[in-house]
Amino acid sequence: MTHRLVSWLLALAALSMGTAALAHKPSDAYLTLEVQDTQVEQRLDIHLRDLDRELVLDHDDDGRLQWAEVRTRWEELQRYTAERVRLSVAGQPCSAVATGEPQLDEHTDGAYAVLRSRWTCPAGAQALAIDYRLFADTDASHRGLLRLRHGTGTPQTAVLVPGSAPPASVSLVATAGEAPSGFGGFVAEGIHHILIGTDHVLFLLALLLPAVLVTGAASRRDAAPQWRPMLTEVLKIVTAFTVAHSVTLALAVLDIVDPPSRWVESLIAVSVVFTAVDNLRPMLAPQHRWRLTLVFGLVHGFGFAGALKDLGLGGGSLAASLLGFNLGVELGQLSLVALFLPLAWWARGTRFYQRGVLLGGSSAVALLALAWVVERAFDVPLPGA
Amino acid sequence: MNTPLARTLVVALIAIGLGGPSGATPHTPSDDQTVVATLPGTTAARRQARQLARQVHALGTSPAALPAALQLARAAIDRFRRDGDPREIGVARAALAPWWSQAAPPPAVRLLRASILQTQHDFGPALTDLDALIATPQAPLPLQAQAELIRLALLQAQGRLEDARQGCERLGSARYATLGDSVRLPAAVCAAELASLMGDENRGARELAALATRLTPQSDPGTAAWLALVRGELAERRGDPAALGLFEQALQLAPEAYTRAALADWLLDRQRHAEVLRLSDTALEDLPDSLLLRRAIALKRLGDPRAAAAADLLGQRLDATRERGDTTHRREQARYLLELRGQPQAALPLALANWAVQKEPADARLLLDCANAAGQPQAAQDVLRHLRVYHQRDARLTAALPPGAPPTLIR
Repeated sequence: MTHRLVSWLLALAALSMGTAALAHKPSDAYLTLEVQDTQVEQRLDIHLRDLDRELVLDHDDDGRLQWAEVRTRWEELQRYTAERVRLSVAGQPCSAVATGEPQLDEHTDGAYAVLRSRWTCPAGAQALAIDYRLFADTDASHRGLLRLRHGTGTPQTAVLVPGSAPPASVSLVATAGEAPSGFGGFVAEGIHHILIGTDHVLFLLALLLPAVLVTGAASRRDAAPQWRPMLTEVLKIVTAFTVAHSVTLALAVLDIVDPPSRWVESLIAVSVVFTAVDNLRPMLAPQHRWRLTLVFGLVHGFGFAGALKDLGLGGGSLAASLLGFNLGVELGQLSLVALFLPLAWWARGTRFYQRGVLLGGSSAVALLALAWVVERAFDVPLPGA
Repeated sequence: MNTPLARTLVVALIAIGLGGPSGATPHTPSDDQTVVATLPGTTAARRQARQLARQVHALGTSPAALPAALQLARAAIDRFRRDGDPREIGVARAALAPWWSQAAPPPAVRLLRASILQTQHDFGPALTDLDALIATPQAPLPLQAQAELIRLALLQAQGRLEDARQGCERLGSARYATLGDSVRLPAAVCAAELASLMGDENRGARELAALATRLTPQSDPGTAAWLALVRGELAERRGDPAALGLFEQALQLAPEAYTRAALADWLLDRQRHAEVLRLSDTALEDLPDSLLLRRAIALKRLGDPRAAAAADLLGQRLDATRERGDTTHRREQARYLLELRGQPQAALPLALANWAVQKEPADARLLLDCANAAGQPQAAQDVLRHLRVYHQRDARLTAALPPGAPPTLIR
């Protein structure tokens, strides 16, 4: 509400004087479409207040809408929306059947009815036309907020104006082209993802930094004298990371577990902080580090899964995409280790490595990752980010 | 397994568990009696609205539909004033759809169209409609007077106080004399208020107080509520504690969302946060943004654990509004960023953009606060210029003005 409202003249019926700005949200409905070949799964969330205005759901007229008053009218609600939201491809209408149980969902301004249906469209669609006319003649500021997913590609969004002619049209071609193609494509994406994923790289480096050192008397760290135990330890860590993230990557991609990405990303940052701090003030005996890696590797796997899902699994088989992507991640990880380890081994005896790289580097990594934690967990944008 | 590792594991598992699915998920209430939504207004008012809507719908686009359509639109705008639910503006606009796009619709439609455009901050087209209506000889005189009044509010909102003053003079002129007190009173109120906004607060306050003795709430609660609100806002600018009683009186006469927000601001300025909570004691989902904002600020300042939920909800709503391409929310958005998120750098551009559109005392204060908090006081230069041009004083701004500001600006 922005402006004061001024009274009207006695001689007139009530009139608004103010330039009062919008206060609650104006009426929106949320239209979600999931396109799989010729099938389109539709979910439409409509505010109960809007539906009541059209269909008088409040049967006893007491101003309190009870669940029974909504539930018993569900078929009518489905018919009402089916008449007002229609899909077609190339002028050929798609046909719909209502699905799903009567359900509600909470949005920012109250409860919405969740109406689901399944459309079958003619094959070979290049674009989907959405004829949206919900509340076209009763609320001129109503809008439909469209979110369309094609396959597993990045969702497209649009604001639908009721009754607009011609109907909104959404291309179904563009997103499909973006998904990597073939097994090799997914391997390349996996390598790419770990190499540009600063958080994964820093985690791995933070883990490996102390590997070339041994803890001597008075907790002093010295250069490791023998390369065999060092290599065994590195192997244990890398294997633990691989096993753990492969498990969760598969679980998430197969939709068996789907933790929220905000928590996953935050925990990945936490894992980097923890590991870097452990380099500064060792809390774990070196021989136990692989266990820590196992735990945190689980979290990183969910992170990889998020990346893979964002890519879209393409037209190929799920197993091949998953395997290819994972293989890419391992290859990227191994090349990183192969690059880092000889250098670290070579420099391990220097003060530069023991102080500058291990302590200085770990401090820097800890600080950076701490900033990520804040940014990701509390949704605070970092300056300059 | 040693302790830090065990701790790590526990933290990791808890964190994953806590997150759950992001956002709400669809659910089926288990009990038929669960109240899933409340509908605003009285049963009688809702019945009447439904009946009107049916009537309008049945008559379609025929000219005979006009009276019912006007009534429907006016009732919707009324509900918008009371509850602050912008979907009512959409309902009003839809009722006028057959006439909406006409270059010169019937005068009554034109007046309502201007009102609706104004709520959407389409000030230019709204002014065009109002000027045209005032210049149309065939338009009924009461409609023209109402157009004058809406025009005044609009000019005042834009900070064009001198133009508003001239318009107010015209409203009080012989042209509208035949309409009697129904015009004379509002003309006197606007003259006194504009005087108070242009450097002469004492005269303004005196005249408004005199008007209040002439006007009994029983005879005209609408104008009485308006007068109380105008007096309350003036008292607030003067730092006069009488503001509280006047706001409460206005609210009693006409329970409007704007007045409630004004009262909440007055209370917030005096650290009376608990009273703000009582004023906005409704389910968060049902609160208009204006009150949700004030409630969230009060909760935050009280260190109440419910503060985060209120701020998050407001943030989501503002996001949703922006997604629609709506820019009428900049004032709320700027204040949200400034007071609830501690991001004055992000708030400042919004406060500046808001100031470009509207220049009321509250807008001046917002821009000054944002500019100061962002460490860029020079960004509020235009506010100082505006205050200087109109010799405007505002007790609330004293703290926000730079030390070098001319003494006339500071009480």
